[in-house]
Amino acid sequence: MKQGKNTFILSFLVAPVLLYLVFVIVPYLGSMIFAFTRWKGLSANIRFNGINNFIKLWDDENFWNALSHNAIAVVLLPIVTISIALVFAFWFTQGVRGSRFFRIAFFFPQVMSVVIIAVLWSFIYNPQFGVLNGIIKLLGIKAWESFPWLGDSATIFWCILVVVVWQSIGFYMVLFIAGMMGIPTEYYEAAKLDGASLPVVFFQVTIPLLWETVRTGLVFIAIAAMDLYAMVMVITSGRIAATSRAADVLSTYIYETAFENGDFSYGIAMAVVMMFIILGLSFFTLTSTRKEVLEY
Amino acid sequence: MASVTFEHVTKKYAGDVTAVKDLNISIADREFLVFVGPSGCGKTTSLRMLAGLEEISEGKIYIGDRVVNDVAPKDRDIAMVFQSYALYPHMSVYDNMAFGLKLRKVPKPEIDKRVKEAAGRLGIQHLLDRKPKQLSGGQRQRVAVGRAIVRNPAVFLMDEPLSNLDAKLRVQARAEISKLHQQLGTTFIYVTHDQVEAMTMGTRIAVMKDGLLMQIDTPQKLYDRPDNVFVAGFIGSPSMNLFDATLTGDGNDVYVDTGAFRVKIPETRAETYRSMRGKQVIFGLRPENIHDSNFTPPGIHSQEIEAEVEVTELMGNEVIVYLNSKGKSMLARVDPRTQAHVGNTVKVALNMDVFHIFDKQTEKAVR
Repeated sequence: MKQGKNTFILSFLVAPVLLYLVFVIVPYLGSMIFAFTRWKGLSANIRFNGINNFIKLWDDENFWNALSHNAIAVVLLPIVTISIALVFAFWFTQGVRGSRFFRIAFFFPQVMSVVIIAVLWSFIYNPQFGVLNGIIKLLGIKAWESFPWLGDSATIFWCILVVVVWQSIGFYMVLFIAGMMGIPTEYYEAAKLDGASLPVVFFQVTIPLLWETVRTGLVFIAIAAMDLYAMVMVITSGRIAATSRAADVLSTYIYETAFENGDFSYGIAMAVVMMFIILGLSFFTLTSTRKEVLEY
Repeated sequence: MASVTFEHVTKKYAGDVTAVKDLNISIADREFLVFVGPSGCGKTTSLRMLAGLEEISEGKIYIGDRVVNDVAPKDRDIAMVFQSYALYPHMSVYDNMAFGLKLRKVPKPEIDKRVKEAAGRLGIQHLLDRKPKQLSGGQRQRVAVGRAIVRNPAVFLMDEPLSNLDAKLRVQARAEISKLHQQLGTTFIYVTHDQVEAMTMGTRIAVMKDGLLMQIDTPQKLYDRPDNVFVAGFIGSPSMNLFDATLTGDGNDVYVDTGAFRVKIPETRAETYRSMRGKQVIFGLRPENIHDSNFTPPGIHSQEIEAEVEVTELMGNEVIVYLNSKGKSMLARVDPRTQAHVGNTVKVALNMDVFHIFDKQTEKAVR
């Protein structure tokens, strides 16, 4: 009987596992081999190159520049996005007036395409007619009223991070709202009777009970912080070099190396390194944030 | 220590739902009052209004002399034990019990003293470092009680704290809670749907139905003198036998005629019902007042009827017999020596000194 049940289950798994193997695992593993070659991508001329691509990475300033931007994103994005999303989620589950409207409003950016978001924010950041400089002008800060936010290498990356935070908050807010709704109300009532203020309830009841969801959110956003391809490409219109590489991230540098400079094997080597960085980051995030699994 | 008063308290929800209707109860200091009733009767809502977890639509609630309608739950000097215990799963037993005291900035040595004292009283000192998921149901229940005790509240509120325990543990826990009440000498307000819990624990019981208070009295008085059909049927296990009947008779005699059997009301009680002859009533008699006629207790006014035995349940100290007398079903708790077997026709004696008559229209007791 158990045998029959296992066969039944396996029969449903065969197709998706095969698809995953053929279109994901095999390409991943296959592409890793190309990292040890010299290959332009389109030609049949593939020569074994040992670990030279990886050695080249070590001395590649642009690689480290791009990686440093990802590192900043990995540190800042989780802290800022998760914190704001948690506060909003808590606030909008406390019966605040208009919370339904605000939930929709904050989630809305998630359903917008990245291109639209990038165009929208390009207008916001526009030095002549952008909303941001308009507000600065209204505040009377003359030195900044025509500032080229996306045109200055010191500010472009931070401007992109702001957009990413703005876009991401809604998703994590909804994730945390769903988690918070699963927390039995008796805990909040017991805390009310104990005399817990809202901040105490937030930090000592909600966060601990929501920790597994927060952990999941941290991993998602850490992985997203290692990507950022779409947002950077669209906001800079693909002109990374024109920004003095101030907005460059690993994914855009890999694209440029492989598809613009034609050095596929070197691009793949970078992608392999990026994969291991992401794996390591995920492992680190999961292990360092691990706590006892709570039952309620 | 404090008294509690509900004064014309009403709770309405959106959509014209009235959960509690004009509740008036005075609970004395140190009393153990039990709210009992079926699901949806308003007992938990009443408790939650007292705790400050529900807004009061109309009326006032007093704790002592203080109106607490607008007083925050934390300032009402109450402690509550929830049905699900609501123990914080990420905190140890010690931290769960100490949490409220820490928020009130009670000094650490005092917190430690109170927690250990309460733990000792409840026999959970060895569990202080454990997390709730490492505890059994009974242990969690005691921790929840301990969390309430350390607060030294004026009033303890308990919302069906035994409902998640198995039957055997429930019996044990009932006794422990009753003992605790005697030791602490504090006002206890307890909500349950279980009338056995209500009868065994309360100094007084408030029976509720559909948001209304049906009767409030001591357990024995509720049992012996129910004010209405609902209380009569709700209190007592097995329930009181209730029959639609008509009062008949002539001269000085009064009879109760159920259609299946006709029994005479003894002279000692007939006067009350003489003027009601011809009226439709509900006739009530508790199962323990229906005897196997071979074992009728001496000195009672009894009336014999015949009935067929449908089911017997041997309890050891008694036999519960399900009877059918010409279509009227009833339960009897008879002597264990009874010869009643399924399928027999037996003679049973109804103790007519302790019957109940309720008005058919108003369902109120007629005495």
